[in-house]
Amino acid sequence: MTTTFLAMIIVLLFFGVFFLLMLKYYNIRRQQAAREKQELETRYEQQLMQARLEIQEQTLTYLAEEIHDHVGQILSLARIQLSSFREGEAVDFPLLHDARDNVARSLHDLRSLTKTMHSGHVRSFDIRKAVDEEVQRITRSGIVAISITSEGDEHSIGDDKQLILFRIIQECLNNCLKHARATNVNIGFVWSPAQLHIRVRDDGQGFDADRALRLKGGLGLQNILNRARLSGGTSFIHSTPGEGTTVTVQIPYE
Amino acid sequence: MTIMWHQYFELFSLLCAVIFARGLNSFGIGVLIPLLLIDNIAEIIGVNFQYFGWKDNYFVYSIYLLVSTPLILWLFGAMLGGSPRQRKQYWWIGIAIQGFILINYCFIQGPFEFDTYSYLLITTAEIVMCCLVLARLAIHKDDQAGLLRDPYFWINGTTLLFNLVSLILLGALKFIALNHLEIRHKNLYLAILPAANALLYTGYSYAFILCHLQARK
Repeated sequence: MTTTFLAMIIVLLFFGVFFLLMLKYYNIRRQQAAREKQELETRYEQQLMQARLEIQEQTLTYLAEEIHDHVGQILSLARIQLSSFREGEAVDFPLLHDARDNVARSLHDLRSLTKTMHSGHVRSFDIRKAVDEEVQRITRSGIVAISITSEGDEHSIGDDKQLILFRIIQECLNNCLKHARATNVNIGFVWSPAQLHIRVRDDGQGFDADRALRLKGGLGLQNILNRARLSGGTSFIHSTPGEGTTVTVQIPYE
Repeated sequence: MTIMWHQYFELFSLLCAVIFARGLNSFGIGVLIPLLLIDNIAEIIGVNFQYFGWKDNYFVYSIYLLVSTPLILWLFGAMLGGSPRQRKQYWWIGIAIQGFILINYCFIQGPFEFDTYSYLLITTAEIVMCCLVLARLAIHKDDQAGLLRDPYFWINGTTLLFNLVSLILLGALKFIALNHLEIRHKNLYLAILPAANALLYTGYSYAFILCHLQARK
């Protein structure tokens, strides 16, 4: 009888201890999940901050180039034109009109640049507008022809996600300009009910995507994949030598 | 006057509770101080019943059950928390438990018997409530401190283990006494329960120290 009682106590104790151990195990798993979530959030914040800085830096570089190469040149010309006028000499009205037109053009260009600068710093971000401006800027160089297509009804998407997406598109376009030797690029937006699909496809020389991702030099490509993942989405880079490159990104709206 | 070895653990936990009273209050378990005081008084009187010339000590523990149950219910109410509706339900169940213990004390087993039914009821209720508090802790606690740094874990974990042991030993107290169930010539109850008591009050003492350390932060 004593043994039976002891056995009952031991069995109950076993269940008690087992229950406590299970709770501890469950709690450890929860803590791990919470830690991972926090790490992911931190990395996302870092990526976001980096994306913002990169956009600002690119905008400033673009502004500097535009002011130096474009506005500066036109204003220099206007100055030369205006400096040819001497007191007491007859006014060359066609030249004066030309100088006035050049100053007006410079003003117009400066206003456009101000808009660009604004979009590089604003908090509320419109990805379509930003991509349009970026495409206009690149198209002006005449190196590559870029087309934009959009399917489905546009959905609202968080500013942070738009910023990250814009950086991904910028990275793709930079790759097209620097490495792909592409002549045509298409940026396709597909607004599905739950997520936004973006596809950037070029007709350039292509490359071995798997190998490039393995190499340390593929940092830009890794950035594309990381940023899409941290935004809760997925991305694929498909490329084969001689057949161009397609980058697909899918990001949920929420 | 005799003081058994496990009572030192009990006295030590009372001492810790008094010293770290502020910490206990910050965790909403200040009610443990009067509860431990009653525990200690009941245990000292219960162990030394012959000194007072009494035949047995059952009535001491019957009164103890009657007096300590509201405090135990209050303690678990504080640890369980919950929505106003859940708290209301909890207090209705508590009133029912206390009502049964009172009826048992007055009319069923009486004041001079060990109130086995009451003991079984409150022990089972405590086991269920410990499991609920522990489950809530495991589900909701995901900060870096972890379960082992939570005073509630030690209070409920050791209470759960103690009650699982005592449920059988005290629930079948009469049966064990009548059948002379012994281990090494020692009553089964006296052989096991002191160790379970030591475990319980060690857990409490550690929990009180944790209360103090965390309240200080």
